[in-house]
Amino acid sequence: MTERMISRELAGLEQPLSHFRDAMRRWSEHAQAAQQQAEGMRGFLYDGGRRATRAGVSSLLIHAAAFATVLSLTQSVEVTHELKSLAPTFVVYAPKPHTDSGGGGGGGAREPLPASRGNLPKATSRIYTPPRVTPVEAQLIMPPSITTENVMPNVSGPYGDPFSTALVPSNGPGSGGGIGTGRNGGVGQGDGPGAGPGSNGLGGGITGVFRPGGGVTLPVLVRQVEPEYSEEARKAKWQGEVLLSVVVDERGRVRDIRVLRSAGLGLDERAIEAVRQWLFKPGTLRGQPVPVEATVAVNFRLL
Amino acid sequence: MEQTLSSELNPIAAPAREQEIDFEALTRAYWPRVFRFALASLRDIDSAQNLTQDCFVRAYRARGRFRGGSSAGTWLMRIAINLIRNHETSNRLKFWRRAFRSSVDVADIGEWAADGGMSPEAAAAIKEQVRAIWNVAAHLPDRQRTVFLLRFVEEMDLLEIAAATGMKEGTVKAHLFRALQAVRARLGVCK
Repeated sequence: MTERMISRELAGLEQPLSHFRDAMRRWSEHAQAAQQQAEGMRGFLYDGGRRATRAGVSSLLIHAAAFATVLSLTQSVEVTHELKSLAPTFVVYAPKPHTDSGGGGGGGAREPLPASRGNLPKATSRIYTPPRVTPVEAQLIMPPSITTENVMPNVSGPYGDPFSTALVPSNGPGSGGGIGTGRNGGVGQGDGPGAGPGSNGLGGGITGVFRPGGGVTLPVLVRQVEPEYSEEARKAKWQGEVLLSVVVDERGRVRDIRVLRSAGLGLDERAIEAVRQWLFKPGTLRGQPVPVEATVAVNFRLL
Repeated sequence: MEQTLSSELNPIAAPAREQEIDFEALTRAYWPRVFRFALASLRDIDSAQNLTQDCFVRAYRARGRFRGGSSAGTWLMRIAINLIRNHETSNRLKFWRRAFRSSVDVADIGEWAADGGMSPEAAAAIKEQVRAIWNVAAHLPDRQRTVFLLRFVEEMDLLEIAAATGMKEGTVKAHLFRALQAVRARLGVCK
């Protein structure tokens, strides 16, 4: 007797047998529930032939509650009904614009004169030498730099604040090194290592990805792929909303998906999987398609 | 010497309590399964309920003897199988009890077949198939039926079935083969 003989004998029977199994499971679950109820009733009905008293009624209620508890404990998390997910509703909306974008800058060397005019130093990811108008003797030889995300033209000295009108060489009245009235290095009025009026920014204010508003239009959904329910979530009858931050690129494809709010139980992955296949008409700036950041809410509901 | 000391030092109550907590979880996890198997074997809801109760009472009494040689599910199934065998042998003598069987409970398993989202013809065909398998299972010899139900309702694999029934794997295969032959003959499915 080999397994091959068995599987040959099984050929074509898989379908009926699985229907049989499902029917058996449903029946058993139903029978169990019915039995629990019936047992509660019997104690009440065959109470020595006496009429139902108030005590009898309350006894019935208590029994029913007890059996319901037992039932809920003994039943596993198996799904008894076919569950279908509704078409997920989604919202694409513009996230709040950064009020503190761009910016950075600041510095100075507590000099009495305002910072003098000059070119911005080269942008690097990290500052080793704060820019100065009047150079000090460097211990570590590194070209002066400010930090930024965007590509800025490489410039050479004399360094200074490009928005300044003063021409007398000065590092400005700020503190913490750098040029200008701010603090913490950088160039300009702000705090932080960049250039410009903001604080803690990485400078410039122009990044590779746009946010809707101010001439930037919202991407329009063209092709939507519905996410599937995950097995775990279906079993647990779990519902929820996944909030995703996405970037719709110039070609309308979705990239840089981040989960802003998770729904758990594998739904996040399903949402990401589906949203990745979505296609948009890209957002534009002055008629030119540009990558735009958007927020997508994927709603998982069970019928 | 050291071992004796340490075992004496350990309070006996602690592992026993741990076992009881295990048993509660075990009951919760396996009650529906044992009940389903009992129902499929005995085809009577009341008897199945009683037998499931018996099975867990026995398991609880014997919990000290369960050493984890097999999985807990297999162990409980083994107890259930033995109880079903006993029940059937004793029931052959108690012919009068059959009269007390509540005829309301004699349910038609076909009613529980899935019919969501398909045409009435397809649903009827499936119902018919399910009923046919149910009837075949009723007329299978005890051991064939046990193996058949364990395999296709409980979805246990051959080794688990062998452990639960105490048969050799080859014997399990032979029973399964015969049971499938019977089902195939009844359903008239060509190979």
